[in-house]
Amino acid sequence: MTAEAASPVLVTSGWFGAAAWMRAYRVMLRWEIFGSRLLYPILIVSQILVGAGFVIGFGLLIPDLDLATAQYLTTGAVVMSLILVGLVVAPQLIAQQKMEGSYDYVQSLPVPRSAVVAASMTLSSLVAVTGIVAALSAAVWRYDVDLSLDPSIVPAFILTLACGSLLGSAVGHALDNPQATLLFTQLGILFIIGFSPVSFPMERLPGWLSGLHEYLPIHHMAVVVRASLTDGLVDPTFRSWFVLTVWAVMAALVTGLVMGRRR
Amino acid sequence: MTAVVASDIRLRAGTQLWMEGYGSMLRFEMRNLRTYLTIGLVIQLALGAGMTLMYGFYFGDLDSSQVTFLVTGIPTLALIPIGFVMVPSAIMEHKLHDTYDYVWSLPVPRLSSAMATFTIFAVLGIPGMVLALLMASAIYDVDLAISWSIIPAILVTSWIGVSVGYALGHVVPEPRVISLITNIVLFLVLLFSPIVVAIEQFPDWWERVHHVLPFWHMSTVIRAALTDGMVTTSVPSSYIVLAIWGVLAASVAALVVGRRG
Repeated sequence: MTAEAASPVLVTSGWFGAAAWMRAYRVMLRWEIFGSRLLYPILIVSQILVGAGFVIGFGLLIPDLDLATAQYLTTGAVVMSLILVGLVVAPQLIAQQKMEGSYDYVQSLPVPRSAVVAASMTLSSLVAVTGIVAALSAAVWRYDVDLSLDPSIVPAFILTLACGSLLGSAVGHALDNPQATLLFTQLGILFIIGFSPVSFPMERLPGWLSGLHEYLPIHHMAVVVRASLTDGLVDPTFRSWFVLTVWAVMAALVTGLVMGRRR
Repeated sequence: MTAVVASDIRLRAGTQLWMEGYGSMLRFEMRNLRTYLTIGLVIQLALGAGMTLMYGFYFGDLDSSQVTFLVTGIPTLALIPIGFVMVPSAIMEHKLHDTYDYVWSLPVPRLSSAMATFTIFAVLGIPGMVLALLMASAIYDVDLAISWSIIPAILVTSWIGVSVGYALGHVVPEPRVISLITNIVLFLVLLFSPIVVAIEQFPDWWERVHHVLPFWHMSTVIRAALTDGMVTTSVPSSYIVLAIWGVLAASVAALVVGRRG
């Protein structure tokens, strides 16, 4: 009897501490990779096609392409890979889990929920990186764009990815209806590609829309990433970093609240 | 017994019975897809107006002939997704909800069922296309010279789109493969097709590919019907290519419809 009573205590004590968290994180990473092993190759291939296709395709459409436009397109494709993976792919994966009924199962696993979120964010970052490499290679091959990477690339990429994935997971976890999630992501794609100053200068948008983008994260993501990849195209201000940080913190709070919810 | 058999045989033949089957399938599909069709119409409008604005943002400063080119490409862009995307997805809905075999088992000629689907989606395309064109020309303040040849241009474009989509939806069994194919088609049409820009902007080899694919020819015949002197290539030869596509796509669709499962 005493032995039986002792073993749950042992398991419980294994719940706390950084080492236990890391172990749970690694387990969840493996879980995600094996659980979605059919999906990730498709995601990676579509990221590569979309990244390269975007740079080349719009280059074909835009009349009289000059170097500045090509730079905008290239850096825009990088930003889009970073945003779309978090804001679009992550909620769709969660919606799919909800439809298949495996969502509640994963939530019931004896691992910290933050480890679950961290594991899926790690994998979506890897997917995003393949799209970025494809977009940059396509740009260098077709337009000879001048890229000059500076150290701010590290915080810019991390903050953009984190902000996008946290917003995406907040939406994915908060909305219970997969159809609603799907609608949100479709509208999100349209808004980010068509109506956000990611791949073209902000001045081309009507005044009210550019005013709105001062407060949304998308424009600021584009500014910090563009500044870290090129020289002289944009100058990131303190405001951009500040707005992005606020959004990331807010999204993390919402994700935390939703994930911590007991049902 | 003989009487029953005889009436069965009469039920399955004749123009009038075909028309009755067509009428009931039209009602059946319309009620079945009413939510889907409404959403489709809204998406088509949003896409039409959205695309015009969006291409404008990306292109920057455009001169008046480039703007006219963009605006007259919009109807083609609004029509293509109806056939290539919405039709296969509608068939997928039947497969996912397990109503697919049920529809085939209904005592109506299969061709009348197929024609009902064709009619609904061909008609669905027109109001959205017209409104998208009106919005686009209002946004950019473009004067159009619309001629009667717009009717065959729209008919042949919808016909090809709906037939290809119909064949695709019935031939490919796996819903995910369908959505992959439709996404690739959309990507191809939106970014890599000379619909809103001149074909000369593309590399030579890609230009030649588009002489074979239907998309550029669709935009050519529609643009020729909307403007005066804008289209410099031969419109009749575009119609010939489209006619070949139309016959091919319809034959494949007919084969699929006649197949016994």
